Amino acid sequence: MIWFTWRQFRTPAAVAAVALAVLAAVLLVSANTITDLYAGVAACQGDCGNAIEAFLTRFDNSAGGTIYYVTLAIMYAAPPLIGIFWGAPLVAREIEAGTHRLAWNQSITRSRWLATKLGLVGAATAATTGLLSWAVTAWASRVDSAAADRITPLVFGARGIVPVGYALFAFTLGVTVGMLIRRTVPAMAGTLAVYTATVAAMPLWLRTHLAPARHETPPLDMDNLDALMIDRSRNMVIEPNDVTNAWTITNRPITPSGQVFTGPSDPARCSPDAPHGSCADWVGTLGLRQDVVYHPDSQYWTLQLAETAVFVALAAALAIVSFWWLRRRLS
Amino acid sequence: MTDPVLQADGLTKRYGRRVALADCTVDVPPGRVVGLVGPNGAGKTTLLQLTVGMLTPTAGRITVLGGRPGDGPGQLAKVGFVAQDAPTYAGLSIADHLRFGARTNPRWDQALADERIAQLGLDPAQKAGRLSGGQRAQLALTMAAAKRPELLILDEPVASLDPIARREFLRGLMAHAAEHGSSVILSSHLVSDLERVCDYLIVLTASRVRVAGDIEELMGSHYRLTGARRNAADLPAGAEMIEHSFTERQSTFIVRSVVPIEDTSLTVEQLTLEDVVLAYLSRSIEAHRPELEISR
Repeated sequence: MIWFTWRQFRTPAAVAAVALAVLAAVLLVSANTITDLYAGVAACQGDCGNAIEAFLTRFDNSAGGTIYYVTLAIMYAAPPLIGIFWGAPLVAREIEAGTHRLAWNQSITRSRWLATKLGLVGAATAATTGLLSWAVTAWASRVDSAAADRITPLVFGARGIVPVGYALFAFTLGVTVGMLIRRTVPAMAGTLAVYTATVAAMPLWLRTHLAPARHETPPLDMDNLDALMIDRSRNMVIEPNDVTNAWTITNRPITPSGQVFTGPSDPARCSPDAPHGSCADWVGTLGLRQDVVYHPDSQYWTLQLAETAVFVALAAALAIVSFWWLRRRLS
Repeated sequence: MTDPVLQADGLTKRYGRRVALADCTVDVPPGRVVGLVGPNGAGKTTLLQLTVGMLTPTAGRITVLGGRPGDGPGQLAKVGFVAQDAPTYAGLSIADHLRFGARTNPRWDQALADERIAQLGLDPAQKAGRLSGGQRAQLALTMAAAKRPELLILDEPVASLDPIARREFLRGLMAHAAEHGSSVILSSHLVSDLERVCDYLIVLTASRVRVAGDIEELMGSHYRLTGARRNAADLPAGAEMIEHSFTERQSTFIVRSVVPIEDTSLTVEQLTLEDVVLAYLSRSIEAHRPELEISR
């Protein structure tokens, strides 16, 4: 059965191997460029802020900047593609073609038939995304540390071990949906829909609960604002900058009594005719504090492990459902 | 080999409210070539899939060669199955299929498989997707036969074949069954496919078994009686009426009787197998007609 599963899977496996090899070649060549550009940062002593800024600007303008965004897209596309093209057809195509009736009447139980398929293609899924993520994470490591943003949602999902969790989930989801719907193309669509919804829910609502976020209320630093806006009815919106090297969840100004500060502004200090900086000076006298909730970079691996565990557990649950369905309901 | 090949008792399969097979009770002795005949949608496929364990019964019991269908590798190894339309992997070659069989069946007979493929004049490197319907059926039969099962089950194996391929296929099947002493169950909606090869018959219509038995016995116990018009009540003792048709002056009965009919007022004729089957099929239709009118 292992031989036969491999015989059925070898073409998709070859496609994945070629794609990985092409990407590896591109990353190897461009890695030298990053090393060259990074020389300034590597050589700097003391305050390296300017050197890092210069490195990131030059990186963005080089071919590396394009590759960076392409690899980001690949990291997010790989798990759902595996779910759609490896997972969904695995059982659905057999049912569609009727070949499950041939396979299930050899002298192996259908549980073993499914276990072999899930085991072999699941291992290929983990290996492919593991290699892919390792290569991309290593390639982008200097950029990520310079930008200090590996814990922010967009980068977080494309680095480390979470892509492996996403891919295992997508694969078993595809297999299970294919088994329930029994048709390949609708199963592919269903897999994509459920996968996208689940993975999008993580940064939006769930990931922050996987590790205790830091909650702080330091005095509002008027030199560290992203925006200060006033509308005609004197409502004010003040947006402090995000916490550096961290994933900022909430960040808003509050009054000494704890209310969120929304104005009203002092018309004398904040009108368009008032001298430049007078409004900021006035806000600075109000004794505002910052209400900030964030995950520092030190929680990066805690979040990576927890989120990977969540998706591996989902994959395991789906695998159990698929075995149950295979034994009880499928014919 | 002394276990009955197929023993079913009150076997029933329902899909929601639709009954696919109702209260089926049969007991098929070993070593037979069993024909399962009935119109399309009668429940033949359901009965065969219950027999191989592809389906599980809603009610009743089924035992195949002394075991529960599909229960573990041992039971799977004893039963070979060629499903309807003989599914094969279109992208894989004949050799790949045989290798699949070799690696998943403990009693696989590679010599038998190679010999059959050679006899059929097929190239082992050819992809199954490029085979004709008859060749595909032959490949599926080869896989099932090389498994060396005690019971070989085929669901409408010749439905999609032309008459010559039909004869070739059935000839190959019979040669295999005779050589290896395996029992065979095959289904068809045509009696003519079955009467040449089978020695046991099960007639299935509208999800019920109408008659099951040894073909020689069936042939020897069914008669067509023709005579002056009369009521069914006036038939000779021991004769069970299966079908009755009449004109102004004449009655024709098809009856089942274990004792010879000795009534000089009637002309007694032997029936062909097809006549017997058709009589049972039309009886089941008549039996359904009044129900339909009531439900209107």
